[in-house]
Amino acid sequence: MSISDIWLFIQQGVLSGLVTGSVYALLAVAIVMVFKTTDVPNFSQGEIFMSAGYVALFLLVVWNWPYWAAALLAIVVTALLAALFQHVVMQRVTASRGAGVQMVIATLGFAYVLKGLVRKTGLGDTPRSLPSLVPQDPITIGQAVLTLLDLAILGAAVVVMLLLWLMFTHTRTGQAMRAVGMNSRGAQIVGIQLSSIRMQVWALAGVVSAISALLITPKILITPDIGHLAILAFAAAIIGGFSSLPGAVVGGFIIGIVENLVGLFISSNAIVVAPFMAIMVVLLARPQGLFGGKLQVKKV
Amino acid sequence: MSRAATFSSDRVMLALLALVLAVLPFGASGYVLYVVNLLMVFAVLALGMHLVIGETGQFALSHAAFFGIGIYTTGLINNHWQPPFVLSILAGAVLAAAVGWVIGLLALRMRDIYLALATFAFGEAMQWVFLNWESVTNGSNGMRMRPAAIGGLQLVSDLQAYPFVVVIAAFMLWLTVAIARSRLGSAFRAVRESDVAAMAMGVNTRGVKIFAFVLSAAFAGVAGGMYTLFASFIHPESLGFQTTVLVLTMVVVGGLGSVRGAVAGAIIFGLVSELLRQAPSYQEIIYGGILMLFMMFLPKGLASMFTGRAKGEKS
Repeated sequence: MSISDIWLFIQQGVLSGLVTGSVYALLAVAIVMVFKTTDVPNFSQGEIFMSAGYVALFLLVVWNWPYWAAALLAIVVTALLAALFQHVVMQRVTASRGAGVQMVIATLGFAYVLKGLVRKTGLGDTPRSLPSLVPQDPITIGQAVLTLLDLAILGAAVVVMLLLWLMFTHTRTGQAMRAVGMNSRGAQIVGIQLSSIRMQVWALAGVVSAISALLITPKILITPDIGHLAILAFAAAIIGGFSSLPGAVVGGFIIGIVENLVGLFISSNAIVVAPFMAIMVVLLARPQGLFGGKLQVKKV
Repeated sequence: MSRAATFSSDRVMLALLALVLAVLPFGASGYVLYVVNLLMVFAVLALGMHLVIGETGQFALSHAAFFGIGIYTTGLINNHWQPPFVLSILAGAVLAAAVGWVIGLLALRMRDIYLALATFAFGEAMQWVFLNWESVTNGSNGMRMRPAAIGGLQLVSDLQAYPFVVVIAAFMLWLTVAIARSRLGSAFRAVRESDVAAMAMGVNTRGVKIFAFVLSAAFAGVAGGMYTLFASFIHPESLGFQTTVLVLTMVVVGGLGSVRGAVAGAIIFGLVSELLRQAPSYQEIIYGGILMLFMMFLPKGLASMFTGRAKGEKS
């Protein structure tokens, strides 16, 4: 491999990595915001994302809805679904003094139910793509080749991130969510209603999941097992420190880039295992992730 | 809570279990024996996970990987040399334990969600190894395993494997209880309740954590070895996160920190997952529903129903 090949691969890997990484980053943000406000590591994130894709697919294919309406309803339905899960199930699990393990199992249960429901519809029997709003024309940046769709995905993801940032810093709801994340009891004392904020955070995570699904499914095929993608989002969240939103974004881009570079330089076979190696390396060097705060030691 | 009371009820349960297991081979069909063999493998897996999560409080999600190491090691040794299977199972347990030691080193640096995800990553990486190390594991085609042998006897049926599986499972159960009652068991629980307090009492927390991982991995390795006694084929697909989740479910729904719970959970969820195999279209919905309902209404698991002890107790 000559120097110029290496340089070409690096350009291509980084740019393609930014595109897929932006979707991992969105999902990682959804995971982190739920974890910060409710202490739940949401193992059903991938299936929520997958269900959103299938709701949109169902409306488009079976009911022949126009794209904008299908997309909108998919977002709303996913938000409601997530909020409902928090309100009916997780609220109850938390109330019965469920610890981390119990919460993880409850979310795993939700994941199984969602997957089973999607399989029941039969839509998932053949892998499909959602239609793309943007043509897949190739575009050359430096020496790397992307498609117009790739740029649209990256652009839309960045816009969503900015909107989230604005929401968390400039709106009362966003600030209330952050307050709950910092100190839930303190937030309660100043008059924030915990259960309603938590529902809103889950709903917001649902919205972000649905947008991610709409962004990535024109590019990759959707199957009932696509929730596996959330593992990469988890990897991203961990690398970022698991309780830091900017960390989740950076982690998402890192995972995307690592994945693509490994695919180009080593083998496409090794892509699957690359994120886990990345997690191990980061955690061994910095057990609290890149952006995580000090490790908390449980006192007696 | 009188200790004698639970002790004797345990005796009764054990006697009942032993009776069922003793009578079973005379009437049951091959399929039933296969399921019972499988349940005992799950019980040993659950006991191993109980040691690391229930006793020591280290949230590890890599159990399927150690199970796989046990299966492949034992199976490969049987395929090549046909030693008495006790030796090949021991080899599987030792290799699993050695890898468990390395993973235990991770636990020294991280806890809770980080540990869970690092071990999860390790589990996924191991499954990848099983799938892609084709010269050894035959990759995604799966691997055929020759019947295990001992003293000229080849175990070719579930019925022939059954007595050995029962004996090994009973031994592992005894070992778990013995560990729980020893100083080591107390050290495990001290670490679970608080690292700092355990250290202050003079517990070597680093050693204890690593040893919990080693033991848990060895148990999973033995479970893998037990599996080779009655199974003739292994596919990496069955060694992924789903298996880890199934075992985790057994331990948690059974009742975290309770040996009876782990065994009861293994029996019940082993049966549920086997029965649901008959109804694949509803399998995931029912299974997921059960998990959510249990966590909502009986988060301390089945064990809390029997003893009532967990009710007033802080987690």
